[in-house]
Amino acid sequence: MTSDATPLDQRQRGSLRLAALLAAAVGATALLGRSADPAAQPLPPASAPDGALTLGAVIALTGNANLYGQDQRLGIGLAERWAADRARRDPASFPRPVRLSLEDGASDEQSAIAAFQLMLRRGVVALIGPTLSQQAFAADPIAQRRGVPVVAPSNTAKGIPQIGHFISRVSAQSSVIAPLSIEEALQRDPTLRRVAVFYAQDDAYSTAEVAIFKQALTAKGLRPLSVQRTLLGQNDFQSAITAVLPQRPELVVISAQAVDGGNLIRQLRELGYRGQIVVGNGLNTPNIYPICQRWCDGVLIAQAYSPDLDTPVNRAFLALYRQSGARGAPPQITAQAWAAYQVLFEAIQRLQRRGGLQGVTLAEARRRLMTELLSGRYDTPLGPIRFTPDGEVIQGRFFVAEVRMAPGGRDGKFTLVRERSLKGVGG
Amino acid sequence: MMESLLQTLLNGAATGGVYALVALGYTLIFSVLGVINFAQGALFSLGGYATYLLMGGRIGVNGAWPGLGLPVALPFTLALLVAALVTALASLLVERLAFAPLRRRGAEPLQSLITSLGAGVVLVNLLQILMGAEGYAFPAGAEALAGLPDMLILAGARIRTIQVLLLAICAGAVVLLSLWLERSRSGKALRAVAEDFTTARLLGIDSDAMVRLAFALSGVLAGLGGGLVGLSVSLTGPYFGISYGLKGLAVLVLGGLGSVPGAIAGGLLMGLAEALVPADASGWREALAFAILFAVLLLRPGGLLGRIQPDKV
Repeated sequence: MTSDATPLDQRQRGSLRLAALLAAAVGATALLGRSADPAAQPLPPASAPDGALTLGAVIALTGNANLYGQDQRLGIGLAERWAADRARRDPASFPRPVRLSLEDGASDEQSAIAAFQLMLRRGVVALIGPTLSQQAFAADPIAQRRGVPVVAPSNTAKGIPQIGHFISRVSAQSSVIAPLSIEEALQRDPTLRRVAVFYAQDDAYSTAEVAIFKQALTAKGLRPLSVQRTLLGQNDFQSAITAVLPQRPELVVISAQAVDGGNLIRQLRELGYRGQIVVGNGLNTPNIYPICQRWCDGVLIAQAYSPDLDTPVNRAFLALYRQSGARGAPPQITAQAWAAYQVLFEAIQRLQRRGGLQGVTLAEARRRLMTELLSGRYDTPLGPIRFTPDGEVIQGRFFVAEVRMAPGGRDGKFTLVRERSLKGVGG
Repeated sequence: MMESLLQTLLNGAATGGVYALVALGYTLIFSVLGVINFAQGALFSLGGYATYLLMGGRIGVNGAWPGLGLPVALPFTLALLVAALVTALASLLVERLAFAPLRRRGAEPLQSLITSLGAGVVLVNLLQILMGAEGYAFPAGAEALAGLPDMLILAGARIRTIQVLLLAICAGAVVLLSLWLERSRSGKALRAVAEDFTTARLLGIDSDAMVRLAFALSGVLAGLGGGLVGLSVSLTGPYFGISYGLKGLAVLVLGGLGSVPGAIAGGLLMGLAEALVPADASGWREALAFAILFAVLLLRPGGLLGRIQPDKV
């Protein structure tokens, strides 16, 4: 039997060589990538030219959550200015420079994931974002796996801090806030019995929030006589409303995003509904004013922030907000974005002062920062806050506000109706 | 029972009227070129924003030039008409950039589909850069219907006054367009081009001019629709026309590609189908509407009033 190489054998050898080359290339790339992994690099000293730590912010600057993202960008920007000013005046107390890196996380899960991955490649020490709870469930696990602290400024759905040790939030979850507005509606009219509920069925946040609203109603002995499911982006509610109005509701509860919910309020009023309206956190933005205009008047909402809170940090926030050229009072989402930046900034400075950032890699710095973040107490525009060991915010003060529109229905204000202090929590 | 039926009919007609208006825009272009203009939804958005600016509205804080506006503040009706002319011009620009170069090269219709989609995306993004993504209420929008009540009650059924106005204007536009197509010389010329582009040219009809006319008219329809819907539900962001554009596309197929009566019937049927969904299953509204579309196409592949064009050899 001869052992001469056939043309087929030569092709096989060629393929093997090619496969070996490819494997070598992949291995080399992986090794190079590993050595270039920013998390493995030691942190430069604070005084070095490149000693600033980078905080990444991934927020929705495009897509249908853009309305929230623009408010958040403003809040983070103002907090950055405020923090830089403090550091300039008292460098000993704020020894580690901090730099902000902002990226558009759009309004969908894939964009948030891509923005998170980009931020990790940039070597951020911690992340603020993403804007929507639905995005957080998709993107936060990536940061968790890489050990990067995340502070959510606006994710209020159940289960966000439970994604992992590195995930926390400054936005109190709906189950704490939402029932307060129901209580207010009942205080105004203790005889009300007929309740209708509208919610966006294809929005993770709204479906979670409406369950909390229903629980709050049940706790008060009320059972919704009609539950209407709407869709994100829907703007014509004529059919849903005319199905509900013959049942003569005395209270309408809405859980939806700002634009859809604003339209729903307007159409409810236009079609003759005169009872009370309670709305969820999705409508917690002045951006609803141009949508529901004069028909926004009287809408009740529970909030985690009130511009009327008289504390030094809130006064500083209000002053910077007005300087920025923004009109009216700042919305909750802007205050929460400020708070997200503030807690990270202050945790970094505490850690730096104690020497916790000296001679460690970025990965270790991230781990220490998370521990420091969770152990601190912060005086923010939201009031004093701290965290539970699993990253849930503990906030002592909540507010119920009523929308009051200016004559002409072009502009309005969330007017404080009632402040609620929750016992045993807070700073 | 009668009250409930009337309510359903009113709900369906109010929604269906807008769908028909959007579908007519598609129909005009499809009938002459045999392609779908995917930029129609973006033109719908443009119509809304143009009406807003012409009424004296100003760019919001998230726009390119916050606080800037046009030095005019027209009443709603006039602003709507001027905005319709603006969208007609924009539609002509879309034709010039996205359709004409490919038509001259005898390109496949699929290529025009993609270029029009691109034109629509660019237009919506330009709107977002210029105006920001925030919602806008028409200046004095609440007073645009001054003296009229917010709602009308017809035999116990409720309808918002703005929706009655919207339905009336949609119906007027549809009737005028149909009369023009049937009775006028240029309307007949457009129909001749729709029948056969080359033969119409041999008969002395300026087919290219007719194509431009179709684009201008579809732009007018998009502008009217955008302005009216903007008044009804405010401008909810640059993408608000896209959802109407998609629904209009479904109506176009349902009614029969290229059929004017089909677009009207399809729009009303789609509106009624959505209104017929029981209140407790309102989340299934879209699904039911598209299930009807699917069923109609199974029974009548050419759509309700469309014809299946045999391939010519």
